[in-house]
Amino acid sequence: MGHGGDLRFQVENLTRVEGEGSLHLRVRDGVVEEAHLEIFEAPRYFEALVVGRTPDEVIDIVARICGICPVAYQMSAVHAFESLFEVEVHPQVAALRRLLYCGEWIESHALHVYLLHAPDFLGYPSAVELARDHRDLVAGGLRLKKAGNQLLSILGGRPIHPVSVKVGGFSRMPRRSELVALRPSLEEALELALATVEVTAGLDTPSFDRVPRLVSMKHPTEYPLNHGRIVSSDGVDLALSDWGRAFQEVQVPWSNALQARAKDGYPYLLGPSARISLAGDQLHPIAREALARSGALESIRTNPYRSIVARAVELVHATAEALDIVDAYERPARPATPVTPRSGVAAWATEAPRGLLFHRYVVGEDGKVAAATIVPPTSQNQAAIEADLAAFAPRILDLPIGEATHRLEQLIRSYDPCISCATHFLDLRVDRSP
Amino acid sequence: MVIDDRLFLPRERLDDFIASLANGGRRVVGPTLDDGAIVMADIERADDLPAGWTLESAPGRVALSRLPDGLGSRRAFQYPVTGDGIKQITFPSRVDSLTVETTPEGGTAVRVVAQAEAEPVAILGARACDLAALAVHDRVLIEGPATDPDYASRRKDLLVIGVECAVAGSTCFCATMGTGPEVTTGADLVLSELDDGFVVRSTTVAGERLVTGLGLTPAKPEVVSQADGQVAATRAAMGEGAIPDRARELLLANLEHPRWDAIAERCVSCANCTLVCPTCFCTGQVVRSGMDGRASTSVRTWDSCFTEGFAQVAGGNFRSRPRDRYRQWLTHKFGTWWDQFGTSGCVGCGRCIAWCPVGIDVRQELTALANSSVPLPDTLPAAQSVERSRAAGAAAHAPVGPDTIQLDFVEATVTEVRPETADTTTLRLTTTDPGLLRGLPGQFVMVAVPAFAIPPISISRFHPDGLELTIRSAGAATSFLTRLRPGATLGLRGPLGRPWPLHDAEGRDVVIVGGGIGLAPLRPVIDAIIRDRDRFADVRLYIGARTPRDRLFVEEIDALAIRDDLIVRVTVDRAGPEWLGRVGIVTQLFSSVVGTGADATAFICGPERMMGATADTLGDLGIPPEHMWLTLERRMECGVGLCGHCQMGSRFVCRDGPVFSVAELGSKLQIEGL
Amino acid sequence: MDVGVRAAVAIPGHGPAPRRPRIGVVKFASCDGCQLTILDLEDDLLEIAERFEIVEFAEATSRRSSGPFDVLLVEGSISTPEQVVEIARLRAEARRLVVIGACATAGGIQALRTAAEHEAFREAVYPVPAYVDSLATAHPVADYVQVDAELRGCPIDPRQLLELLTSLSVGRRPQLPDQAVCLECKRRGIPCVVVVDGQPCLGPVTRTGCGAICPAFRRGCYGCFGPREAANTAGLVAAFGAARPGVDQLGMSAVDIGRLFAGFTGAAPAFRSVTVSLGGRPPMPLRPTLASPPETLVDGPPAWGPVDASPAHPTESED
Repeated sequence: MGHGGDLRFQVENLTRVEGEGSLHLRVRDGVVEEAHLEIFEAPRYFEALVVGRTPDEVIDIVARICGICPVAYQMSAVHAFESLFEVEVHPQVAALRRLLYCGEWIESHALHVYLLHAPDFLGYPSAVELARDHRDLVAGGLRLKKAGNQLLSILGGRPIHPVSVKVGGFSRMPRRSELVALRPSLEEALELALATVEVTAGLDTPSFDRVPRLVSMKHPTEYPLNHGRIVSSDGVDLALSDWGRAFQEVQVPWSNALQARAKDGYPYLLGPSARISLAGDQLHPIAREALARSGALESIRTNPYRSIVARAVELVHATAEALDIVDAYERPARPATPVTPRSGVAAWATEAPRGLLFHRYVVGEDGKVAAATIVPPTSQNQAAIEADLAAFAPRILDLPIGEATHRLEQLIRSYDPCISCATHFLDLRVDRSP
Repeated sequence: MVIDDRLFLPRERLDDFIASLANGGRRVVGPTLDDGAIVMADIERADDLPAGWTLESAPGRVALSRLPDGLGSRRAFQYPVTGDGIKQITFPSRVDSLTVETTPEGGTAVRVVAQAEAEPVAILGARACDLAALAVHDRVLIEGPATDPDYASRRKDLLVIGVECAVAGSTCFCATMGTGPEVTTGADLVLSELDDGFVVRSTTVAGERLVTGLGLTPAKPEVVSQADGQVAATRAAMGEGAIPDRARELLLANLEHPRWDAIAERCVSCANCTLVCPTCFCTGQVVRSGMDGRASTSVRTWDSCFTEGFAQVAGGNFRSRPRDRYRQWLTHKFGTWWDQFGTSGCVGCGRCIAWCPVGIDVRQELTALANSSVPLPDTLPAAQSVERSRAAGAAAHAPVGPDTIQLDFVEATVTEVRPETADTTTLRLTTTDPGLLRGLPGQFVMVAVPAFAIPPISISRFHPDGLELTIRSAGAATSFLTRLRPGATLGLRGPLGRPWPLHDAEGRDVVIVGGGIGLAPLRPVIDAIIRDRDRFADVRLYIGARTPRDRLFVEEIDALAIRDDLIVRVTVDRAGPEWLGRVGIVTQLFSSVVGTGADATAFICGPERMMGATADTLGDLGIPPEHMWLTLERRMECGVGLCGHCQMGSRFVCRDGPVFSVAELGSKLQIEGL
Repeated sequence: MDVGVRAAVAIPGHGPAPRRPRIGVVKFASCDGCQLTILDLEDDLLEIAERFEIVEFAEATSRRSSGPFDVLLVEGSISTPEQVVEIARLRAEARRLVVIGACATAGGIQALRTAAEHEAFREAVYPVPAYVDSLATAHPVADYVQVDAELRGCPIDPRQLLELLTSLSVGRRPQLPDQAVCLECKRRGIPCVVVVDGQPCLGPVTRTGCGAICPAFRRGCYGCFGPREAANTAGLVAAFGAARPGVDQLGMSAVDIGRLFAGFTGAAPAFRSVTVSLGGRPPMPLRPTLASPPETLVDGPPAWGPVDASPAHPTESED
């Protein structure tokens, strides 16, 4: 053992994650006594801010919870309201919402793979330094990311906080020609995504295998985005509105954010690795083939560092599906179905890039939201991250402290934690000492 | 040539007609349905037209609706004006107008760019009001003194198919403005749409060629009379008298009317009225450059007199209040447009009414003004078009700018840099351009370097091989210019503007008053007078500065002060004990020194407030207003009378000034926000 | 804002460009979207990294610096006592401090909470609120320190960001017009949604810069760039409150108009005063609503639980 007695890893400001967090790990005599991912985003009270607002206003407001995955928030919200109002949207509206989500997945995954995570594997502090030695690699990643952003811009006006989603459909749907114009960049993106699978599958990853409990959505005929059921590796199978029947939010004293756990108190893992493990049979054939070629299916499930490969596979899926949707698109006569609001509980989940995102709203008689609960993926993954930190830490105690700390940071980054999303209703720092 | 034999185009052949427009690779633009409105866009076939649709317009409201079932339900032009008209085609909202590059040798090369190879365009469905507006733009943008090269290039070879309106909207008033609904100008072919086809009238050779190619048969007389009856009914539906008579005189007499405040409460200064107006032509220059700043492009971009920045200069804003901006728009459109261009700026299309988000109706506003107007004097000066004053220039002993102004930039090299004060620097430039070397005192140049805005700078001295520019660092561009070093090259457009009328001072006493940086454009006047001292009687020079350290050209002025053939007086606003000279404002200087004013000519330049006070004092001392000359500062983006920013009453300060006599300006200096 | 960091125009005699400017990117309470916009400049990102030395940008690099900075881009609103201290420290380290986005320039949507709501809310959640690290409301950065320039928007516009960085690199003033959204809307030839649909639109009182995205998507502007120069909000409120012949949606109630202004820049004075004068925005609840009541776990680190299918799990919806 390299370090006897007490050992304290402390990373005050996690970098290359979205938002602000820090890592505290206390190890005594080789035993992990504390593994805390602290989140210190200042509270922004979104669940309170949406009260008194109309559903369409809520769709715009909840997007602001996260600048990295605003579409996910819009999708969970819009589907929640449409399920309550029993709105039947046009099939092309449903298709374009998948396309919008594909754009966000491409943008978010490419950002994480190339700009945030790859520098870890290749030994650089950032993509800027990485680009000095591997300019083509980073430039390709940026083009891939741009293809996603272009999709978001055509469908919603801008990549961050797009403006077109509304209950019943969209405020405007593009002409077919506008979408077809994206084909060349999407075709290139598909090639880049396939190359990404190869590159990431070949990365040297720390060996760390464990058997996590996995949770994702699953749908009989499509890779999970907006529809399906909530399933888990231990047998959960629920309607999207019933998240609360299997999972709960808990408060831990060491973090400002609420964590979510399974009802039995154990952590679970969301995100690309969970989706591929539970719903991989619905991947686009091109992505399924790329996954098979990579030989990474098993390690994606068991090694958190391999999530970068899972993201790459999903990049293939999202670009391939985007091309299919573009090819089949015909602009409907009306961009939105008329809606009759009603009161009641609107609950839904969709698959954000980082995993399942659950929204629940109480809509009052006046058609305005009276209460809201939003459970983002990072607050659900937080316990899983801590469990992994606790399990992994003993293996790196012999490394020099800087290297060990880096490995732990890299482990956290492999979850692509989006800490600004994890800012929950209760995110207040409390000092409980007398 | 008007060919009276009208032809008939059956509806089934509309596709052939559109195809024939596209012959020779023309882009065909016509009305289409999009996002709740009918707008002009590229079309390929008859199906692209909004057949079966019409629209209703009212103040702040444009509503599409289906035509009722029946024989006319297939009509494709059964509505009044489209949302955007044809301005975007001939005068797009954004075009590259200049490139400024760093040459391989490190100099500056400036190129005026027009649409490189005019893309041939055919417009289908221009209305009478659109075409009247096109004629106005031709006058403003082509017929001088400066020509907008991009507009000229798009205008050349434009093929226009006019359509006579079969319906009028509630916002239409072309009949009042005398511009429609009959198409009388600007079209190569004119169509009148009937239920089963179009009566076609060709009015140009190009139009004639088109219909000949289609082999159309003559329209039957009853069909022709049906078409004539239709447009006559449109005219009747509109009626006339939508705005009061003598709108120009009405507006100019009521510049301080309380109605302007009432409008300003409702008007949200969104600028929609100006941008949808088919004749509004004001633009700004937006500079785009790469991060290395070695090259830049100036993008000519639609601007509006409703924005706060429109009349902003380094020292302040000439139209700070929304009421000033609304008044500027309306008085220009219906009033001073006549003085500048010999025509009304309004063609009666009603877009400013329909597309106003708060529903302001110019017809109502003009009527309200008329109902509570001050009595209009019978003798209010008639519209004095700039053309006429230009022609009468010599007689009015007022020199005018040249008949044509070139937009080119020529290269000049910095050979010497002389710091004058903490924030002001004089650049000595050499050039071989004969035009620049022919410049006159009071003229200015537009100065271009890559990646910066292009500011107007007055010329502070002429040399046989070049000139001097004295520049105060007021913004980023001027700050950059003051930091140049010898060897730098610049692009200069000019000399521009109306010079000081030195001949007006010949044989007379001369009073020269300069405040602050205002001394710079007066310096060539002093040079000229010294050179030909005998041609002038008493010469007095009064100079004001903020502090002793803010004085310009100190050694030169000191040298002048010891001459016995002119009087030099200097004062500063404030000073410490080291300053033994006068402290006080410049008007205090000459009230005691100047003799009788009737035989004097004054040249004044400085802050506007100082010039006003100076003119008042000198006027009291007897100098006639037609012999007092001053130079105005206004925002200028082009310097040649095309961008509209420096408009003041009936004049563009860049082109018709910057030198004006107090008589010419009249009371305008006193009216706030004009 | 004064002229930029350096003048890089290669005019002879002007001298060589000095060292690369040190640029930092930091955030306070926000969604990260504005700093993400930097990474969204895909075509220019590598050149930006060559022209500027990125010394602090936690979202993108493990390199850290606490200063000094030639240019510091600040995202987010000031929401905690620590942030009040930190922004003052950063100001002292920054030659130019540029605030980016609606949170930093106007407080963001989180600035709509009021002190009374905050207090009530905090007490409802915490029986012993000995120390709660949160200010009563969220503040724009300029409430605490001098700012040199601002990029508006929720999020900021990538073209405006590039214009800012270019102007800093070249040494000129950034061209960030303060006029209404409508100008850009009409330049793009977009039919006005107030006129064709009767939809309320804040474009006439909102600063341009986004490219008129919302009207381009046939909906009204929601004001995310904040008030324009000389915004005539009263004129717009009067127009939206008045019924218009043939228009269903206008003739809005005062409360509905007030809510329209209570958006992402609703705390900007020119907008807040409208909402307040029209009866305020909807109150925030005093109690949190959770999917299930939170439990407090104080045990050691979580460990992975059983992963096999367990019949104990609910598998059917009750509804």
